[in-house]
Amino acid sequence: MDMSYYPVNYPILKIQNKTTESIFARVMYSRPQKNGRKVMGELVEFGKVWRMGANEATEIELFKDASVGKNKIKKGKYTIYAIPENDKWTIIFNKETDTWGAFQYDQKKDLFRYDVKPEKNSEMAEAFTIMWEKSNDGGANLVFAWDDFKCTVPFLF
Amino acid sequence: MKQKSLYLGWIKVVVFCFLIAACNQSENTLPNNKITVTPPPTKLQQDADGVSLDKSPMDMSYYPVDFSKQKMVKAIQEPLIARVIYSRPKKDNRLIFGDVVKYGSPWRLGANEATEIEFFTDVRINNETVKQGRYILYSIPYPDKWRIVLNNDLYTWGLKFDSTKDVHRFTVPIQKTNIPFERFTMEFEKDPQSAKTIHKMVMHIAWDSLYASLPISY
Repeated sequence: MDMSYYPVNYPILKIQNKTTESIFARVMYSRPQKNGRKVMGELVEFGKVWRMGANEATEIELFKDASVGKNKIKKGKYTIYAIPENDKWTIIFNKETDTWGAFQYDQKKDLFRYDVKPEKNSEMAEAFTIMWEKSNDGGANLVFAWDDFKCTVPFLF
Repeated sequence: MKQKSLYLGWIKVVVFCFLIAACNQSENTLPNNKITVTPPPTKLQQDADGVSLDKSPMDMSYYPVDFSKQKMVKAIQEPLIARVIYSRPKKDNRLIFGDVVKYGSPWRLGANEATEIEFFTDVRINNETVKQGRYILYSIPYPDKWRIVLNNDLYTWGLKFDSTKDVHRFTVPIQKTNIPFERFTMEFEKDPQSAKTIHKMVMHIAWDSLYASLPISY
């Protein structure tokens, strides 16, 4: 399991008294490794709900109200899933938290779905990685990367 | 940590440690938190160095035990009470207590981000009410007992603790584990004496050959 904060490295900045903005979000997820396997289309099957991690369901917590595209998202805890396709990934924000994987995924508990285009990643990610980055419009991007794929979900807050 | 003899042993050690504690009154104040902070490499730096996974991976424990798996198989019988998120350093042939973990100094109970505990209802610990909510957790270890501290300074890295934000301090006896714990481990367990009127559980904290159990009721 691993954790990623926005502002990036917030906990380290905090103990050094170097934070310049208040905490916005954190994501907590497990990190399966590629281990020589073909990831997209095989290990992660196209058209099926993917848990985006391993073990406990991947959790995003927002400490401020935010928006993703036209979707409003209140501060709080959500579970993230995805339905990957060759040319688009549907990122799912779901209200059922503290669960395991996507085995009991219930579409009725979706907050919203957001489609993004997967991109080729120049750097190989051996372990599935989720991290926050500062975006050019003053918000934050949530970046999902594994193998040579990545996709980005833009947050404004 | 699923030994059935745990509670008998626990009682013996409580008595033993009480006797020792009674003879040893020297460390009843928290030391100053003047710690030099040397942040470990960030995840991005680790990735750039070709190290993709943390050597002290993060883990999570729930009470009720395995709550998230129970949810997966629709077998939830009790509501969510507690969740702890912590990182799991390895012993790696090191001397842990008295060396890696220094007596009388704050011990982060993990690695990396500060260990976090969340209670989803008010609970009782050592006759104190701990309010529903999120806390970070650290310890001041001594040779015969561990002080367990709940602190309000959330979302920090576990190398510096602001004791002015301590909310609760509990002292728990330590005991020997039956098997060595290579990785630092935190787990909840239902107390066999738990009843419908008073629910009882413990949070075990184990590493190397020692563990302590924090009794929690609600």
